[in-house]
Amino acid sequence: MSDTRQPLLSVRDLKVTFGKGHHAVSAVAGVSFDIFPGETLGLVGESGCGKSTTGKALMRIIEPSSGSIELEGSSLIGQRGRALRNLRTHMQMIFQDPISSLNPRRRVKDIVAEPLDCWKTVSGSERDVLVSDLLSKVGIDPKVYGNRYARQFSGGQCQRISIARSLAMRPKLLICDEMVSALDVSVQAQILNLLEDLKDEYGLTLLFIAHDLAVVKNVSDRVAVMYLGKICEIGPSDALYDAPAHPYTKFLLGAALDADPDSPLHNEVLEGEPPSPLNPPSGCRFRTRCPNATDKCANEEPQPQEIAPGHQVSCHFPLSVQRK
Amino acid sequence: MSSESHELLVVKNLSTTFTTMGGPLPAVADVSFTLARNETIGIVGESGSGKTVLSRTIMGLQPRTNVSVTGSVLLNGNEMVGASEAAKRALWGTEVAMVFQDPMTSLNPVMRVGKQIDESLRVRLGMSKNDAKARAIELLELVGIPSPAQRYMAYPGQLSGGMRQRVVIAIALAGSPNLLMADEPTTGLDVTIQAQILNLLDDLKDRMKMSVVLVTHDLGVVATRTSRIVVMYAGRIVETGSTRDVFHRHRMPYTRALLESSPKVSNASHTRLVTIPGRPPNLLKLTDGCSFAPRCSFATDKCHTQRPELEAAGEPGHAFACWNPLPTTTEP
Repeated sequence: MSDTRQPLLSVRDLKVTFGKGHHAVSAVAGVSFDIFPGETLGLVGESGCGKSTTGKALMRIIEPSSGSIELEGSSLIGQRGRALRNLRTHMQMIFQDPISSLNPRRRVKDIVAEPLDCWKTVSGSERDVLVSDLLSKVGIDPKVYGNRYARQFSGGQCQRISIARSLAMRPKLLICDEMVSALDVSVQAQILNLLEDLKDEYGLTLLFIAHDLAVVKNVSDRVAVMYLGKICEIGPSDALYDAPAHPYTKFLLGAALDADPDSPLHNEVLEGEPPSPLNPPSGCRFRTRCPNATDKCANEEPQPQEIAPGHQVSCHFPLSVQRK
Repeated sequence: MSSESHELLVVKNLSTTFTTMGGPLPAVADVSFTLARNETIGIVGESGSGKTVLSRTIMGLQPRTNVSVTGSVLLNGNEMVGASEAAKRALWGTEVAMVFQDPMTSLNPVMRVGKQIDESLRVRLGMSKNDAKARAIELLELVGIPSPAQRYMAYPGQLSGGMRQRVVIAIALAGSPNLLMADEPTTGLDVTIQAQILNLLDDLKDRMKMSVVLVTHDLGVVATRTSRIVVMYAGRIVETGSTRDVFHRHRMPYTRALLESSPKVSNASHTRLVTIPGRPPNLLKLTDGCSFAPRCSFATDKCHTQRPELEAAGEPGHAFACWNPLPTTTEP
């Protein structure tokens, strides 16, 4: 990438393999990307493509098999104990199911204060002020709801509480894993708008993992598309959505449904289903379903090539940029 | 409205009320609509809007106790409300069949998928074992499952989510029903698989001359697949009309909020979404007014005390329930 800015998070050739020998599944098979300060990188793909595993490997919730992860120049790989815990305070994660990610038997203000209590950064009245402030920021009145239990809240409110908790340590990077997919559209819109506001206010950098293409486009500055453990295309959101260069991106966008009766029907639908990651195809991983595949695709793995500034595609025969 | 015989399904003043510890819960209240032969209608709403209870009530699948159903559901001339189990069983499979949301839980995990299709062929149509097997393999082929003879022997756990949903559709089609109820048939499936399943349902509808009720929370699913839409909120129909009218000439503020709050692929990134404050009401604590009034920016005193009835809009078949409807707009 020709960007001169220092990336906040830099990931190179990240691999995650589950199991050993014949049963080894490479869930993430060599993923590289940068996230720059203040931007939102969207990570889309279908189930099983490794997007959530990538997110968890960045936090080292799942141990990566190889590759490097650097947060502001300090490597997360090889860190242990206190050093790793210190680095992790700069990164926080928000999960898909808001209800199961909160302890139903704890009070809301204690849930939000938990990171502060662990690190003992603030105490006493200062702590209470900070917790009240965080709760008001996410739209939950601390005076009315602060003493209620997590089980008394709806999914949307629980997601607000999760956001407040994740902001308590003033993280630099927020990893959002399918954070709105369990919510109704009207609530989803509230949470997405809230996230944009907080991003500006707290100067956050976001990795936004989701399967919903419309949601990802709405929040992201750049988007990476994953297929079977690899990134097949990464680029600025508007450019990538207007002129996808990888055939898989084009099919994925073609299958997305816009709520408009005049939008074209899906005449070109991707046939079949992704192959098993136990036994991925040789060469390009998409070649078994790609209409343009040739012998070259089977023999040679395509390397990322830059087709426009910041827009990279891993394909031997990228679709022309002019064609929509 | 055309003659009765033209309509396959006539739902009139249908209400489903559950008896709960907290009092009566009106999950579906005073719902009326009709469905013509070979037509697809979409029922749209958020969770808790009553769309699933409505589709189950139409099927006659409500629990035996603690529920009261009033009104009428005429399915090809057969009254479903108050019908005996035996009478309903005679209609299930051959008149009406249902595709449920979760293809994992609607299949028996320890029974080969072929046997699960056979079952309905042998019980409903009285086919012999061999005929049923041959027909089951035909059905698997019809729903686009590759190498159907081998898949006949597979267990549900050996199939992917998309394949399982195809099996569920094959079971539903076994009795060649006139009406297919599809309750969130693609929720939980990936977008490319969702497109495959929706195309399959469209294609089967024409080939088998069925009518389809497509129940979903996703406006994108119904936008291009239905001719008419019913929008539900808190158990009631708040707007109904042709798909185009509902999308482009909606009058009810809730319909607009629902449409504008969903992000669109065609919008530029960082487009600010329109939101409605609050969340759907508690059905145990409904007021006499419009259920949407507490969240509506146009609400007046009248909205909080008097419930608006469905009234006809300018276009044929288009109706909405609102005291302060949005102004009529011209097509964009």
